[in-house]
Amino acid sequence: MAEIKLEKLTKRWGDFIGVDNQTIHIHDKEFFVLLGPSGCGKTTTMRMIAGLEEPTDGEIWIGDRMVNDELPKDRDVAMVFQNYGLYPHMTVYDNIAYPLKVRKTPPQEIETRVAKAAEQVELTEFLDRKPKAMSGGQRQRVALARAIVRTPLVFLMDEPLSNLDAKLRVTMRAELKHLSHELKITTVYVTHDQIEAMTLADRIAVMNHGVVQQLGTPDEIYNNPENIFVASFIGSPAMNLIQGSLLDGWFVTTGGTKLTRVGGGDKERVVLGVRAEDFIITDAGQGDIDVPVYATENTGESVLLTIQFGKQRVSAKGDRHLDKKIDDIVGLKVKPEHLYLFDPVTEKRIRPGQ
Amino acid sequence: MRDKSLKYVLVLPAVFVVFATAIWPLVESLRLSFTVGRLNRPNFPQEYLGFENYAWAFLEEPAFWNSVQVTAIYTLVTVVLTTVLALGLALLLSPGGRLRSTVQTLLILPFAMSPALIGVSFRFMFNPEFGLFDAFFSFVFPPLAHISWLSDPTLAFAVVVMADVWGWIPFLTLVLIGGLASVPRDTIEAAQVDGASGWRVFKDVTLPQLMPVLAVVIILKTIFSLKTFDQIYMLTNGGPGTATQTLSHYIYFSGLKYGQIGYSASVAWLMVIPMIFLTYLYAKHMFRKG
Repeated sequence: MAEIKLEKLTKRWGDFIGVDNQTIHIHDKEFFVLLGPSGCGKTTTMRMIAGLEEPTDGEIWIGDRMVNDELPKDRDVAMVFQNYGLYPHMTVYDNIAYPLKVRKTPPQEIETRVAKAAEQVELTEFLDRKPKAMSGGQRQRVALARAIVRTPLVFLMDEPLSNLDAKLRVTMRAELKHLSHELKITTVYVTHDQIEAMTLADRIAVMNHGVVQQLGTPDEIYNNPENIFVASFIGSPAMNLIQGSLLDGWFVTTGGTKLTRVGGGDKERVVLGVRAEDFIITDAGQGDIDVPVYATENTGESVLLTIQFGKQRVSAKGDRHLDKKIDDIVGLKVKPEHLYLFDPVTEKRIRPGQ
Repeated sequence: MRDKSLKYVLVLPAVFVVFATAIWPLVESLRLSFTVGRLNRPNFPQEYLGFENYAWAFLEEPAFWNSVQVTAIYTLVTVVLTTVLALGLALLLSPGGRLRSTVQTLLILPFAMSPALIGVSFRFMFNPEFGLFDAFFSFVFPPLAHISWLSDPTLAFAVVVMADVWGWIPFLTLVLIGGLASVPRDTIEAAQVDGASGWRVFKDVTLPQLMPVLAVVIILKTIFSLKTFDQIYMLTNGGPGTATQTLSHYIYFSGLKYGQIGYSASVAWLMVIPMIFLTYLYAKHMFRKG
């Protein structure tokens, strides 16, 4: 049983604000992802939970203990580091056994628990090796095994997959998900990779400039972004953001094209957010507007069109059999239920009817 | 064709200097070590003796064995003290340590002093009438005042050790700070999170990863301790008696003071043996792969 409560947590280095007065409650047994670009404060937040960084202000609670003044060793957390942080002079066995050894666990118990952890991450045959003689993926597993060998209150994972190649990352992602399902321990996971966040998380906190921009389930974050930052950070390709205005409930681009009806009266400047997959590509004349193709990319599972849209370019995802060439004219429709309006000044979401 | 020969012409002066200052004296001293080589007799270096000088040092000369013993103890004590103290300082001074860079700059000062100068200044500081230590002890602990440090064999040895340790700590500290900086931070943090106390993090994680640098430090300091001369010459001149006479000092004395060049050359070559071994170890650690 361990929920984590961060109350008005702040970290400053001189004038630089790493984390700005954030209050986050992480539920017991939750897989919680801190997502954001580099320098957004996600790693700093995690390091403060671990005790590797001292907060400038605010409180950190793990379970019912306020841990601000506790050393990392007393916080009962386990952490997986971005560069694994393996002890290079110890064998895999000794690496995994280390957290147990320093806690004076009886030798027989160490043996059984290391064996079990090694089995869970499929490392049993490598226990005598040194980390240097292992591949990136195997080292990653050693780091994981070292974390799961005891039952800590909290798992902390700092971009654990970012040093792996793309293919291995996908495999390890599934393994992590399986493992967290098995272990049922509160996990905080830091990443800048939105796919990792979407696939692993129970809930995601999207951070930027030391502030949580939005906190919610992957579904909420994807389908109901609160502001332009969240909308454009999540999703690949990034959400199209089209500048324009509202005229009697219709969205009109800055070039003067009347695109679609969104409701909400008149507004001089708005930004319309449309995801690439929420465009419907038709033949010329059959959509809401006709536009020329700027580039086409076939990814295998789908075809991605970049479309010249007045002075802007947008991307639209089409079915993989779509056969269009550069400079072809295509029709474009939008699904009205998946449109997002933002205020270009505050960058906040404008909801129809407001 | 000209370029091909030009490169040799360009390095020639350097080769010549090395030859004149290192190779030739080395060869010449080896040759002299097999001769009588008395400066104060005619027809220097006189007749060929074979290994007689070496045998004499080993079998007949207590002063030789005394200097070997002094050098051995001196080396052991200075290496241990300097390394331990330098390591402690490096831990305090390294990034994330408890002292800051201004202190780091100040601490390098002793290393800027030549060993001979260190010898002279320590001799003044330990002067029983007007020395700094005399003044200091008559203020904080009067029983230790007015002690003639340099005329007691044990105390003189301690003073020589102290001067050497003081002079060498800064450089070794700097080397170890560099070594500590190359220990990956996340291994230390991993150990902290894994539940290790500060001491255990040091013992289990920092120290083993610092070993290659520490080995270089220890070997380097051993080499320099073995050949200590200048400080001793200035501070005690080997005395009182021969209580602080190191091998280098003994070689210098028997060769240049008593004129036994052949004999002192043979002792010098005896000293080369451990030096070559240590240099080999040093080179092995310095240039090892990975």
